[in-house]
Amino acid sequence: MTGLGNLVRRLARPPEELRDEGLRGWASSIERATPIAQVEPRERSKVAGVIQNLRIDPRPGRNFIEATIIDGSGKELIVRLTGRTTLAGWRLGAGLIVEGTVAEKDGSLMILNPEWDLVSGPEHG
Amino acid sequence: MSTTATALKRILLGRPMSSAELEHTLLPKVIALPVFASDPLSSNAYATQEILLVLGMAGTLALSKVLPISIAVATLLAIVVTSYRQTVRAYPSGGGAYRVARENLGMYAGLTAAAALLIDYVMTVAVSVTAGADAIVSAAPGLEDKKLELVIGFVLFVTVMNLRGVKESGTLFAIPTYGFVLSIYVMLLTGFVRCLGGCPQAASSQINLKPQVALTFFLLLKAFSAGTTALTGVEAIADGVQAFRYPQSRNAAQTLAVMGALSITMFLGISWLADHTNVVFVEESRQTVVAQIAHTVFGGGFMFYVLQVMTAAILVLAANTAYQDFPRLSSILAQDRFLPRQFRNRGDRLVFSNGVLILATLAIALVILFDAELNHLIQLYLVGVFISFTLSQSGMVLRWRRLRETGWRRKAIVNGFGATVTGVVLCVTIASKFKGGAWIVICAIPIFMFLMHSVYKHYEEVRRELGHPDRLPEDRRPGNQNMVIFVQRPDAAVARAVGYARAVRPATVEAITFDRSQTATWSRLAPEIPLKVLEQGRSRTTAVQQYLRSRREGLTDHDFLTLAVPEVLRSRSTLELLRGWRLHRMKAILRRESGVQVLDLPVVKDDVEEGVDQAHEPARNYVCVLVAGVHNAALQAIEYAETLRPTDLRALHLSLDATESEEVGEEWLAAGVPLPLEIEDSPFRDIGLSLLNYIRSEFDPDGLNRVATVVLPEFIVKKRRHEILHNQTALIVIKRRLLFEKGVVVVSVPFHL
Repeated sequence: MTGLGNLVRRLARPPEELRDEGLRGWASSIERATPIAQVEPRERSKVAGVIQNLRIDPRPGRNFIEATIIDGSGKELIVRLTGRTTLAGWRLGAGLIVEGTVAEKDGSLMILNPEWDLVSGPEHG
Repeated sequence: MSTTATALKRILLGRPMSSAELEHTLLPKVIALPVFASDPLSSNAYATQEILLVLGMAGTLALSKVLPISIAVATLLAIVVTSYRQTVRAYPSGGGAYRVARENLGMYAGLTAAAALLIDYVMTVAVSVTAGADAIVSAAPGLEDKKLELVIGFVLFVTVMNLRGVKESGTLFAIPTYGFVLSIYVMLLTGFVRCLGGCPQAASSQINLKPQVALTFFLLLKAFSAGTTALTGVEAIADGVQAFRYPQSRNAAQTLAVMGALSITMFLGISWLADHTNVVFVEESRQTVVAQIAHTVFGGGFMFYVLQVMTAAILVLAANTAYQDFPRLSSILAQDRFLPRQFRNRGDRLVFSNGVLILATLAIALVILFDAELNHLIQLYLVGVFISFTLSQSGMVLRWRRLRETGWRRKAIVNGFGATVTGVVLCVTIASKFKGGAWIVICAIPIFMFLMHSVYKHYEEVRRELGHPDRLPEDRRPGNQNMVIFVQRPDAAVARAVGYARAVRPATVEAITFDRSQTATWSRLAPEIPLKVLEQGRSRTTAVQQYLRSRREGLTDHDFLTLAVPEVLRSRSTLELLRGWRLHRMKAILRRESGVQVLDLPVVKDDVEEGVDQAHEPARNYVCVLVAGVHNAALQAIEYAETLRPTDLRALHLSLDATESEEVGEEWLAAGVPLPLEIEDSPFRDIGLSLLNYIRSEFDPDGLNRVATVVLPEFIVKKRRHEILHNQTALIVIKRRLLFEKGVVVVSVPFHL
């Protein structure tokens, strides 16, 4: 009976869990990329992640676009570009490789105006 | 869903796939061939037979015309394949007849092609599955009585396989398709070798058919058009370019060429052997032509049975081609606003599930209607295919003429010749099958077109009304918030509503009730809010409606009038929805009331700790406006949200499609909406769940100190029957998800079209 119970649980495993596995594999294949969970604040790091969500703030004085990227390591990193008037091709699911100094803000990791590169994400072939 | 139900669904359909995994479902050529070519290849199982059947009416001697006619059909097949290869290269994003006709011949030609194709896909399923069942019934006559059930069973089987997804069903279908091709070639090869020393003669060659009609040119034409069933399914590859791996159009063109080569050699080989073994086929024949040839060549035995099994299998699976293309075409039509937008939704397995389900339903209905009689069903077949062939190739001719690229004349001649021949075949098919049932198709096409056109007209109208954001941002005159609390009985939900109203501080606030005995308790709970007792009259809903209308009279168009409906739910069970049906009905009616917003304040009994006679004002009200696009309905909802004195106000876009969301983001930036927009992924396309997760992690509402208000812009269409076009089910699902959530308030801001 427990065998069957296990099977049922395994089949009903949250799809998010399965997705994280794939993300970890992809991120580890990028050269010199540090998993987000191991990034140290105030140090320069290179991180590869997939855009999980986007924030657009067009209000005068703020005027930024911001992406949260994840790499399956369990933590997330906020990437913010200021002074933008377009999305510059940033879209959900795209791979983003960033390099810059990571700051800690309200308990989450953030990198402001880093060097960045868009690549096709792990789920795009 | 319960864990067991989830597990059951997983076993049947597989795990849910995230939208980003779409590319993994693309097909390599080896799989694409059986997926798209099972239909055209399988028609070799009966194309020669159809020709012999017609020729037989003019007597045994006429049967010798089978080879020249087959050569003519094969030539036509080659022309159509060549011309579709040109189409696929010209339309890399999928060049079905619909797109080609629409772009080059105009909207009505496009709709004709679309209607013809949709009908034909349904026919493909019905005909091929019935033919497959026929093959089984002739091998096991005991199943005769259960044929209809057998056919429906097959349709359901193919449906489930397709709901699992393209790639996996493709792998399964590869075996019989390749098996069929291989066994036909073995038969042809054996036949040729044996013919070197004089061809063996079929048992039926002894039959002498008396001529019933003269061998006229029209009869030859009729035989030719009967043989053109060999062409069905060629368009499938052109329609399905997007399912191929990159480079899509090159791979699709190559697959088309391979399919054409296989089909032509098989067809000509079968016809040649039929001619040389002198097979005779009449309607009463118990064995198909291919079976007779196989019997003659192999002399019965193992290979004979292998071929029969493979034939039956590929016939059932030929339906799969339609399962690939019907959903894809309907999603393209939905994108072009000719069909309800629900056809664009991808299910758990990234298949356009709604299209699959509709196709299955229609095919089953058709089979039941015709009692699984192949002879009757087949009369309806072919008309649609040839309409779309003719339109698509004529469209290509005009395209070449317009573009005048190098070598355009040669290309135009290929397509023009194809269009002429398929046009002639179309006329012959209609003439010979009209009375038999083709008239049904001829009548159905304009009806389909009319329906699609009215859907289009409606969406266009909506688009105009939603218009460009014209109240942005300077000339906005945010109105006042006015609130009315609907009090049924003194309970915790009412107390929360009073607290909520205090936090919002509307310009005016009143409470209404039908129960006179409330006044005493009310003055303790909320002395600052006047309570008005309404006379019930004919119905409570009408009384509330009349009250709201009289309140609206004193307000400007920019002011909001919110009806807050507090409600205590006894448990977190779906049954609660049934228990409160009266209230739901009232809310549903009032939601259509112009200038009124209905705010749901449900409280689950177990979550309440405070007393019912004190109202606690929440310190924080997080307001989140759900945005699907940048248009007037969304902007109105934002204006509404601003009147709620939010601690934090943001717009949220839940993404089902990254490209579409990118557009929304760019529009947001361009329109300069003075509000941050968050774009969140809903990777498994469950917006309700994604929204719930978002609210929990961002706001963590407890209902007492922290409240989250979700503002839903909602379209109210003039005609009730148009509601189906606006996917309002999404709103119902969202409301249902949030109903039992602690501290979440949901308000609909209707936009009247």
